[in-house]
Order: sequence, then C-alpha cells, then structure tokens
Amino acid sequence: MNNGAIMTTPRTSIIGLGNVLMGDDGLGPMAVEVFRSEYECSPEVEILDLGTPGWDLAVYLYGRDYVVIVDAVHADGPPGTVHTYCEADVVGRQVQLQLTAHDPGLQACLAQLRLEGRAPAEVTIVGAIPESCEFGKGISPKAVSAAFVAAGHIARSLLQRHVSCRRRHAQIEADLWWLSGLRLSAGQLEERAAGDRKG
Amino acid sequence: MARITIDPITRIEGHLRIDVEVDGGSVQKAWASCTMWRGIETILRGRDPREGWVFAQRFCGVCTTVHAMSSVRAVEDALQLEIPANAQYIRNLILIGHALHDHIVHFYHLSALDWIDITTIPKADPARAASIADGVSSWPGNSHRELQAVQGKVNGLVASGQLGIFAHGYWGHPAMHLSPEMNLILFAHYLQALEFQRKACQVVGILGGKTPHIQNLAVGGVMNAINLNSLATMNMDRLGTLQSLIQEMIPFVQQAYFADACLLAASYPEWFHYGRGVTNYLAVPDLPVDANATHFDLPGGVIMDGNLGSVRPIHDWHDVAIRAAVAEDVTHAWYSGKGLQPPWKGETIADYTDFQADKKYSWVKAPRYDGKSMQVGPLSNILVGYASGHPLTRKWTDAAFNKISSVNGTKVTPEAMQSTMGRYLARAIRSAMLSELALQHWQLLTDNILKGDDRTYNPPEFPSHEIVGVGLHEAPRGALSHWVVIDKGAFTNYQAVVPTTWNASPRDEAGAPGPYESSLLANPVADPEKPLEVLRTVHSFDPCMACACHTLDADGREIAQVKVL
Repeated sequence: MNNGAIMTTPRTSIIGLGNVLMGDDGLGPMAVEVFRSEYECSPEVEILDLGTPGWDLAVYLYGRDYVVIVDAVHADGPPGTVHTYCEADVVGRQVQLQLTAHDPGLQACLAQLRLEGRAPAEVTIVGAIPESCEFGKGISPKAVSAAFVAAGHIARSLLQRHVSCRRRHAQIEADLWWLSGLRLSAGQLEERAAGDRKG
Repeated sequence: MARITIDPITRIEGHLRIDVEVDGGSVQKAWASCTMWRGIETILRGRDPREGWVFAQRFCGVCTTVHAMSSVRAVEDALQLEIPANAQYIRNLILIGHALHDHIVHFYHLSALDWIDITTIPKADPARAASIADGVSSWPGNSHRELQAVQGKVNGLVASGQLGIFAHGYWGHPAMHLSPEMNLILFAHYLQALEFQRKACQVVGILGGKTPHIQNLAVGGVMNAINLNSLATMNMDRLGTLQSLIQEMIPFVQQAYFADACLLAASYPEWFHYGRGVTNYLAVPDLPVDANATHFDLPGGVIMDGNLGSVRPIHDWHDVAIRAAVAEDVTHAWYSGKGLQPPWKGETIADYTDFQADKKYSWVKAPRYDGKSMQVGPLSNILVGYASGHPLTRKWTDAAFNKISSVNGTKVTPEAMQSTMGRYLARAIRSAMLSELALQHWQLLTDNILKGDDRTYNPPEFPSHEIVGVGLHEAPRGALSHWVVIDKGAFTNYQAVVPTTWNASPRDEAGAPGPYESSLLANPVADPEKPLEVLRTVHSFDPCMACACHTLDADGREIAQVKVL
C-alpha cells in the first residue's frame, strides 16, 4: 500500500481532492481509489485521498516530479464531463482577488513552493463537473461514471510521462467506505452506475 | 456610515462572511455568518459508534484528527471505557503534531500577510535584519546569507511584476508599519515554515499510519502494534525516528515562530488595545498523562467576565458542570427550534431565510455556557493556565512578556492578552509549550514500552440500553466537544460543538453577540475599501469554516469580494 510516503518523498503523486461526505464533491477521492483498484504502479507513485486540505496541500506537492490532481471543477458543460487541464489552465486563468485563496489553495501552494524551489515540475489536473455537492447525499451516477473516466485519464497521463502503470490482471476491491459503508468492487459499482443511468 | 461585506474571509476554504458597519473610522456593528450548511451530525445517526470517528474525521478537511479523537473519546465516555496508557500517549503525540502543524500554518501562511508588507523587502538591509533577528533568537535560519537569498527571491518577484498569490495583499496600507528588515525576517521564516510543517505531518503519519486522515484509532485505544522485536510495528527504530523529528521541530517553534510572534507583538503594540470581545473563556483539559485520564498536561477551566481570579478549574473529562452548562440557541441561525437546547437533545433542522441582520443570518448555531457567550482557543488555554498557576503556561507566557519587553520596552500583561494581538501571542506560547510536551510524551511512551507494557486497546462492549457521552478535546482552535447518544449499539444522536461555532457564534435570543462579532466593535478601519484591520481581528481567531465542500474554479469565477455599501 502506498501510505503517504511518510519519511521519503515520492516522485509522483496522484491526489484526490474533495469531501467524501458531500455527494459529488467526493469524486476526486473516488477516482483515485478506483484508479488504485484497477491499475498497478511502481512504488515511486503514491496515491492519496487528501480530502479538502486547504493550505496543507503544499506538504503533499513538495519536491515531487509529477502530480496528478483529481477534483470537482466548476466549468461550463454537463455534469459528469471530465477534462484534463495543465497547471497554466487553472492557475493562469484564475481571477486573482483580494483575500483569495481559492478553495484548495492550489495556486497559493504552488506559488510558495516555487519560491522555495520545491514546486512539482509538472501538475496535471483532471477535473470533472459535479451534479450536486450536498452534505450527506450520495454520489450521483454521473459523478461515478466521471470517476471511472478520470481513473483512465490518470493512467494515460502517467503513461505519457513514462511512469510505469499497468492495468491489474485481477482488480482489487476499491475501498469506498464512505458510500454507506459498502465495499463494492469497482466493476460492481460501475455496473450499478450504468443501471442507474438506464433507470 | 459604510457597510462592508467580506465574503469569504478565510484564507483557507471559506464560508465565513463578515458584515461590519463602519463610522468615524471604526466598527460600530458586526455580524458573522457562516454561509454553508453542514448538517454533519445527520450523517452519523444510525451508524455503529465504533466507526463514527472515520466519518467524523471528514467533517473538516483541515482539522481531521481532532474530530476523530473527540468522536472516540465521546464513545469511550459513554461506555466508561478506560484506554491503555500507551494509547493515551500515542494519541497525545498525534494531537501535538497536528496542533503544531496547524499553529505554524496559521501564523505564517494564513495570517502573517495581514502584518508583513512584502513589497518593502527589496529596501531591507539583510545585514541589519540578521543582527535584529540575532538579538531575539538563536535561530540558524537568520543568517545574513540566508536573509540575502530570501531578499533576492522577493526582488525577482517584485521586479517581474508577477507577485502571484501575493499580488493582491494590502501592500502599502497605512496599518502596515514594520520596517523592511522586519518584513524580511518574518517572510524568510514564512518560507522556511513549510519544512517544519512536513515534519509535524511526519510525526502524525508515523503514529497514525496515514496523513491527513489517520487510520490507527479505535474506540478503546489505538491499533498500533507494539513489539520491540518486530520490524513492522512500533519498535525502538520508529521511536527513534519520532524523537529526531520532534527534536528537529523544537528549534523552529521556539526560536523562529515564538520569537517572531514576540517581535510582531512588540512592533504592533496598539493591537493589544483592539479586539477584546467576549471575555468569558472556556478551555478543556487535554494531554492526559495516565491511562485513566486523571492528570493532564494542559489544564482546563472557565473564566467569566475577564476576571482571571474567578477561574473555575475543569479537573478532568468527568466534570459535571460542563455537561450541564453547554447548550445551543438557534434564534439567529437558519434552524428551527426554540430556547437553549443541550447537545444531547439537540436538533439540526434547516430553516433557511436570506441574510436578515435582525433575524436569521448564519448556519452556525449559538453555543452558550450557562447561557453566556464564550471565547475558545489558545488564548482561553493560556489564560486558564496562567490564572490557575500552571507552571509550564507561566514559564512560556512570562518568557514571551520578557522577550517583548526586551525588544522595545513594550509591557504586556495577562490583562492586555485579552485582545487581537493577545490571541496571536497565545497561539505562539501554546506552541512553545506543546513543543516541550512533545518530547515529554515521547518519553512517557518510550518508558512505558520499555517497562514491558505493550497494551494499546481495550475492546468496547455496548449495552442494550441508551447511554450518553461527551468527548472533549482542546483542539488547535479551542475547546471541541462531540456529544453522542447511543442505543443498542448505534448512534441515535450526534452533535459536534466545534471551536469555530463558539467563536463565530451569531447573536442569541437575548441579542448577545458571539466573540467574532463583539471583538470587532471599535476595531479601526482606515479605508473601507481595504478592511485590513477587520481581517487582523477575525484571523486572530484562526477561523475555519472548512468542514465543507470545495470545488476548483476552472473558469476563473470571482470567489471573494469586498463589497462596500
């Protein structure tokens, strides 16, 4: 298990952001967990569900070569749409206002790390448009599908950068404990989501 | 008269909105509003109390471990279940690691830029800055060379015109008056702080299995296996790593952070006269030093009306008075209900209206102690300790007073601590205390293990009748309590009364304001378009409304605004 590389700095980090108790906001953590269950990576890759760390995100970006962040995004398009952004897309276009530190503090964290020469060399953001982020409401079928799509985007992003990553022969169980305590395999979950979409 | 709305106000995920009415250069009226509904408690009803902490840990993205701890303590309290000494020490070290991390982040990253004007740094003389810093501290990161390097980075940033995140600070604001050298010293530590944040995270990670969401808790203790002969468990090797990390953090906390807070206090002495607010203080005892939690390294107590002589100690978590005293009012909060509700009987039924200053205007309930509004946080912690003669609190508080006086003769007293600057200073004093306690609790754990005690867990047994419990924790932002009702092995009620609920409380039925609201009265505001001074006072509480949703805004929509009407 990649357990947050307590004492050493991993080279690549796959980070899911979002609150798992807030409906579709939890699609980031779900996507990285689905990725973990479907793909096998080299030990230099850590997979982290960071929740909503705010400024604390900086600690997990520190000194990495490459970081993939999966998060819910506000963007134009139908819920469930998944896009891959590069750092300049998100940070450069951000309207900078007084008092700001926009939500996960990504921009602020990167700027500080850059000043210290510890910013990751490259950041990819896999963003999915949520349907509803309400407390205590389950994740929507569209967001579940988006999480699976996002897992594929993570894999592609790694492969494009020659980071070793391959589909597991036998899927391991995705630990999505926050979904009513259910432990479904990723396959079962996608079947359920597909069923919901039809229904 | 100008009416200013700042939304959101936090430098972390913000759902806090502050409205102030300004007249004659100072605040006349203030409202604190949480603009996001949490309804956290409803998620836990019906769940197995043994897994409650896993969910509670996700209440807030920033204060993860504190909710996990309070949750297991609440269930253990309901069961009257003692936990082994090793479990107490392991939990304590996690709590200290988390608190140090949190306080460092607050001082440097979430609030320092309210006081430091980085645009003056190019004018600083690094040699002079190094000699000023040497005068108050032996921190090795203050060398001429180091400060020169930091100045070089800032010069580059300023020259490029691309200040990035720093582009929209209130630079040149009349309330900013540190010398370029002081700005350089503080900003150098701002940059260095990240390294020590990481070390604090590593302490939590080694013991908790993962950060930011720890994995090792259990109702009844912790799941860390202790075996000095096994590589995979808590052994001398791991203990040694922990000790090194703690020893590496201590100099930064005591010689950089603590010294910086003293320098800041000496440089802005006028801020000991603003932001007093609610002067009823609540702190709960924490860091138990024995298995059955009879003695604590952080004292708890209640102070009313700012009268330190009136301190009523809270000796332990069995304290009867606090259980009867805490209740919540929803007169001005977007919930239905009437009168003061004790948390065990508390309800969370949303009743949203618009922001109505005279009626309902916040998602935060108004917690009260014996009907009174209370301030919680490091200041409460320090005042209670100081008033009750707690030696460690006295040692570091007096050290801070002496250091400030040595800078420029500014005299600070416990009375003056009841202010905006007092809250900043109290957090630094508490951090210095915690850095010392970290090593002591590491020693307690190590000695106990070497004695041959490897117990970490006492299994819980749930009765078939209804039981109630409260889990108390002195979290980085102040007194946290989780109140649980359990029946037949499942939660039937769960209420969290969190520090920011106490401090960001709206008015109550009697119209009495909460600490943020009352601390802002008479706060100066030089320029309503740039309400920097309002931010200083609100940030002094370390506000965290983060227990909620966040989404990244890929299309660059406006996410913060200052509106002057």
